[in-house]
Amino acid sequence: MTTISLVEPSAPDLPPPDGRAPDHRGSWLPTGGMIATRFMELRKRRGLMIALIAVNIGIPVVFLTVRLVSHAVDPTSYRPAGGYDIFTTLVAGIMYVFGFIVAATVGCTAGSVDLTEGMFRHLVITGRSRLALYLARIPAGLAIVLPIVAIGFTIVCTVCVLAAPTQLNYDGVTVPAGLSRAGLEQWAGDHAGEVDCNFNFNFQGQSPPNIPCGNTPGGGIVKAVPQGETQAVASPAQVRAEAITIADQDYADYHSHFLSPSLPLMIDTGLWICLEATIGFVVGLGLASLMGQRTVPVILLVILELILTPIFSRTVIAHLLNVQRGIVGLAMAHIEPGGLPHPLGDGAGPHDLLVPESRTVAVIVILGWLVVWTALGAWRMTRRDA
Amino acid sequence: MSTIEFPSTPTWTGAEQDWAVETHGLTKSFGGNVAVNGVDLLVPRGCAFGYLGPNGAGKTTLIRVLLGLTHADAGTMSLLGYPVPHHWDLALARVGAIVDEPRFHDHLTGRQNLQVLAAAREPAARDRVGPSLERVGMLHRADDRVAKYSMGMRQRLGVAACLIGDPQLLILDEPMNGLDPAGMQDMRDMILGLVAEGRTVVLSSHLLDEVERTCDAVAIVDRGRVIRQGTISQLLAGSAFTVEVECSDPEGAAQRLASLPIGASCTVESSGLSIALPTGTGRDVVAEINRVLVDSGISVYRLQHVQASLESWFLEVTSRLGETS
Repeated sequence: MTTISLVEPSAPDLPPPDGRAPDHRGSWLPTGGMIATRFMELRKRRGLMIALIAVNIGIPVVFLTVRLVSHAVDPTSYRPAGGYDIFTTLVAGIMYVFGFIVAATVGCTAGSVDLTEGMFRHLVITGRSRLALYLARIPAGLAIVLPIVAIGFTIVCTVCVLAAPTQLNYDGVTVPAGLSRAGLEQWAGDHAGEVDCNFNFNFQGQSPPNIPCGNTPGGGIVKAVPQGETQAVASPAQVRAEAITIADQDYADYHSHFLSPSLPLMIDTGLWICLEATIGFVVGLGLASLMGQRTVPVILLVILELILTPIFSRTVIAHLLNVQRGIVGLAMAHIEPGGLPHPLGDGAGPHDLLVPESRTVAVIVILGWLVVWTALGAWRMTRRDA
Repeated sequence: MSTIEFPSTPTWTGAEQDWAVETHGLTKSFGGNVAVNGVDLLVPRGCAFGYLGPNGAGKTTLIRVLLGLTHADAGTMSLLGYPVPHHWDLALARVGAIVDEPRFHDHLTGRQNLQVLAAAREPAARDRVGPSLERVGMLHRADDRVAKYSMGMRQRLGVAACLIGDPQLLILDEPMNGLDPAGMQDMRDMILGLVAEGRTVVLSSHLLDEVERTCDAVAIVDRGRVIRQGTISQLLAGSAFTVEVECSDPEGAAQRLASLPIGASCTVESSGLSIALPTGTGRDVVAEINRVLVDSGISVYRLQHVQASLESWFLEVTSRLGETS
């Protein structure tokens, strides 16, 4: 290809000023007006907005409403609508995964519609920097995605706090919430039979006392004298002592169960799902700009979120360990707020992930995804034919 | 390279900065296909300039290169005196253009689409959205969604999009597409009005009649090259023309004229005699024909010099090129 020879620009070569004030349209910085009109363009897409609102607000609202009504109608059969368990289920199970997908769809739309709808050439002809045209989409898109995620999350938090159960259900036993270790031991001593027969307990090789529980349907441990041995039925004092021992051993697990999510947990979780939505939007924007279309990037990101990330989070492939660490979904799982179940669906906590990764590496991976996809999208935007 | 011989009217003389568009050796290829082949183009300021060529001649590609929608492989160019691509921002701030069919966000109204484009221009452009819509006759439909617009209305909206930048140069690619006769008349009047305001309009069109009615100068492009450019009268002056003769003995007149060394090709028609004269024939030959016929005893009732239209001239030069290649 022949190298284009350019007329060297120099001040004397330029025509005299024509009275127009310089407007810096060659700058890479988008103007407020560009961001505002881009926001308007996205907000006016009815189908996209409906999907965004339905997933981030609609699903939690419907879910919580059904639980509220059920509990109001029949409190004995249906547990309270809110609480810690519902919070973690909704946030890590629905809002995290589907929030990412919908945010990615918004990003893919923002990254491709100017091209597919023929507006890109109109915008290029304005003389505005193509980089500025690209960058204007980021704040505009996030200004749509994040408030909707925040509204949905706020609704979840509100219901989970206000409609939380008054007593904790631990191993099938109703236990007061928020007890200290001494408090739990005191309570266990007073409810020794329930604790001995229902709480999980590791005997660590010791022979348990003979406490006849029977095969309780609640799933509690059943203690019985091993075959061939004879042991006297435990005295009330032994039963009480055993209950206190079990309470002491289970306290760490009990302590991670709450009636309702704490304020720090809600703040951390809110920031975490907002970050997830931001990643979805930015990656979708970059990928769609790179490919110049919306459908295929959306499909690719759905595959990443629903198929590849769960597979790579549950399987250690020795030769691909660093590739696995580079998957943004795994990195996000590693910075998940404590107390939430694994977002990828196996119920384990973040520290039980199979692929080890430090928080520092996880943060670097996340930043890398944001920067690299933004750079790729912007590069393609500045180079492509309009 | 084409030789530019524009008449020395005050508007079209002066330094190089007087050209609204100037290209030298501009080349653009797609794979092995050379779409724009060393084009040298000069568009004077303050006129309506027609850019003509058959389908696939490279008209739209040249416009896309000029506007930075695609990159040139070689050559130099400037818009309104600003060398591009170094000064796209300065040049395009003063340019409005429609390339191919005008397409917009269908889910937005016409006004909202213009607001999106105005936001990418200078702040004053926002204030020109309403007046631009009014000028193209779209104010009454400005708040309807573009999805409901006809092709002609989209075309008008495209022109309005050009006007929000208060451009000194407008490049319109087939602006008459989709317009009804009244719409075409409005568009023609608008183009003439824009030129009267001192703006330059480059009109790419396959409607030669429209170009002839609207434009002061034209460039003919074929197979990626500009093969002629100049004012319409200048270009047609060098073309073949016809003399129509109504006389008492058309067949005798044809025999008499065939013996003259003027290269005339005579055709006897029901209305009289049609005499085609070769390119470059002077007007004196018309007087000579009249004298010869009268001297031959043939009564001449009417004799009319018919200049070739731009369309016939266009077909002549492009087909000639086809023969040589």
